[in-house]
Amino acid sequence: MLKKVLNFALVAGLAATSVTTAFAQDAEKTGYAGAPRTMLWSTTPSTIMDTTQYKKDGPYVIGFSNASISNSWRVGMLASIQQAAHDNADQIKQMIITDANDDPAKQVSDVQDLISRGVDLLIVSAATAEALDAIVTRAYEAGIPVVLVDRRITSENFTTFITASDYVYGHMSAQWMVEKLGGKGNIVMLPGMAGVSVAVNRIAAANEVFANYPDIKVLDMQYTDWSPAKGKQVMAALIQKYGTDINGVWNDHGLQGSGAIEAMVEAGWTDLPPITCADLNGCVKLAVQNKEPAFNYDYPPAMGGLAVKVGLDILAGKPVPHQYEMSVDVAITKGDETTSVKADKWIEDYARLDKPNDLILSTGIPDYDPTTFSVEFPQ
Amino acid sequence: MTSVASIFTFLTKRRGGLLTVIGLIFVLTLFGVIVSDKFGTYSNAVNILEQSTPLAIVSLGQTLVIITGGIDLSIGSMVSLASVLLSGLTAGDPVMMYVAIVTILVLGGLVGIINAGASIYLRVHPLIVTLGTGAILQGITLLYTQTPIGKMPKGFDELAYGRVLGLPLGAVFTIVVFVVTAVFLRKVPLGRYIYATGDDAVGAQLMGLPRRKVLFVAYGFCGMMAAVASIFLVARLGAGQPYTGQNFTLTSITPVVVGGTLLSGGRGGVIGTLMGVYLVSLLNNLLNFLSLSTHYQLIVQGLIVIIAVSVYVENKRKV
Repeated sequence: MLKKVLNFALVAGLAATSVTTAFAQDAEKTGYAGAPRTMLWSTTPSTIMDTTQYKKDGPYVIGFSNASISNSWRVGMLASIQQAAHDNADQIKQMIITDANDDPAKQVSDVQDLISRGVDLLIVSAATAEALDAIVTRAYEAGIPVVLVDRRITSENFTTFITASDYVYGHMSAQWMVEKLGGKGNIVMLPGMAGVSVAVNRIAAANEVFANYPDIKVLDMQYTDWSPAKGKQVMAALIQKYGTDINGVWNDHGLQGSGAIEAMVEAGWTDLPPITCADLNGCVKLAVQNKEPAFNYDYPPAMGGLAVKVGLDILAGKPVPHQYEMSVDVAITKGDETTSVKADKWIEDYARLDKPNDLILSTGIPDYDPTTFSVEFPQ
Repeated sequence: MTSVASIFTFLTKRRGGLLTVIGLIFVLTLFGVIVSDKFGTYSNAVNILEQSTPLAIVSLGQTLVIITGGIDLSIGSMVSLASVLLSGLTAGDPVMMYVAIVTILVLGGLVGIINAGASIYLRVHPLIVTLGTGAILQGITLLYTQTPIGKMPKGFDELAYGRVLGLPLGAVFTIVVFVVTAVFLRKVPLGRYIYATGDDAVGAQLMGLPRRKVLFVAYGFCGMMAAVASIFLVARLGAGQPYTGQNFTLTSITPVVVGGTLLSGGRGGVIGTLMGVYLVSLLNNLLNFLSLSTHYQLIVQGLIVIIAVSVYVENKRKV
């Protein structure tokens, strides 16, 4: 009898432990580290570039022509590049960085100057796709390997383009919201700027999803200039207009998302509707603090550092894909996973409650702080 | 500072201004060759000439306006508008390209004539008139398009990157228009009236010189040069862009004052401006070779303008 009781206790104890373990595993989602899923799941073959013609011995001179550092995302990307130059200092003789101040004409001159300086590899983040096309094409045809990062040129005359997908953001964020609402409800859409490719692509992808659900209704769509202040103002006006008829808030980025949450809190809402975020600490932080169901999928500035690493692969003669998609984590607030959209990370763990709202996440630099970041690299 | 200024004054006395700029170009080149083995190469020299074409053409127009004692602050917006109209109207069609080129040249001239007319008949200083037309032109540009628009026929970029006898096409064109304009200013009566008007507007009118005609010609030429610059810019950038000319408003003034043309009018010349353009382009190229950030390039340009103006002002007072 006693033995039976003991056995029972043991089994129960084990079961309890395994339940706790299951919870513990749940609580410790550390993110996805594998190959980019956009590549794994792609139904079309990737174009792989043969780079043996570029193979040479280091250390190398690398030129990076940046469009600008005119917003905090771009500051983060530059930091990521500088960090990568620091980490690979043994292979890099010189990392020359130019900044075009968002002036395409200046950037063309910058690229020409970099070519004149005899760089072994050219990294370009184009001010506009059209303006940089001719000069980058000329560099590429003259035999300089070209890595484009974040913003591409119009033609295919480059070695590889490092990016993350706007379409994946649009599809995943919209699918999550639809399922979170049980396929029924009213959504307001707050994109960034009319006509800018990021906004255009993300809106199109989200609308593809929403169109599949007849009971999902898009109440309104208002542009926010990717500004937290404007996002707040627009959301406050929508609250005036529609009140609690709003069941979901879809953003194409976290910048306006943080403002939208502030507007809802200030309107006295307590049970906040699901919201979508990206890149910005403020959006996920406010979602956690206000217990709001949230989805986050970054467009990581860490792609700057990846551009340097892929560039070094090219100079080592390793084959690289013509379009290099970055791996991105899906982050969701605990308990808010849906049938189609599962979390790689919990937003509760991802948000930095101890950091300012305007911090850009996913630079790949531990404890990145734009006000203090500084790193030595070969210049 | 006084001693530095007086050395400059000494160096720039009379026609010495041009020599000072050429001397500076020589010193910067020497410095560049010392700091980088890639600086003094043929390919980099060609590169600098190529980059300077649009700025040179815009500054040429600005020089004439400044010699009359005026200024054109609408020039940057004119470049932007002309560039979007050029590639927007062309839209890849080689025949439409000629239509578009004629359109923007006429439009540029017309805007210049409006600038001159407004300052003559409304008696408003050209600084204010052109600031206003500049804003209007930028508004029209943005109503037309907010993103890069249209495209040019295949091979149009040869205009920006092509070579004649080993020299960039644009540089050859630049030298030709500068020499022609210089001859016009010195040898043709109307050209000399431009100087007379700038030197003493009232006196020129009392002497019966055609002041209004002079202003229409100078501003019209300036607007047309903005359109020409946009052709080279579009060749370089592939398509017109709504903010592409923005920086030219200020940067077109720098080479003019560096080259010895007085902001008060009546003195100076286009060859000085051309040297000023090469000095500015060389400096930007050199700063890129030194891996100095763009933000320093802005500071250096600002300092050059202030120093140049102060030196020449000093010069005039003493003459």
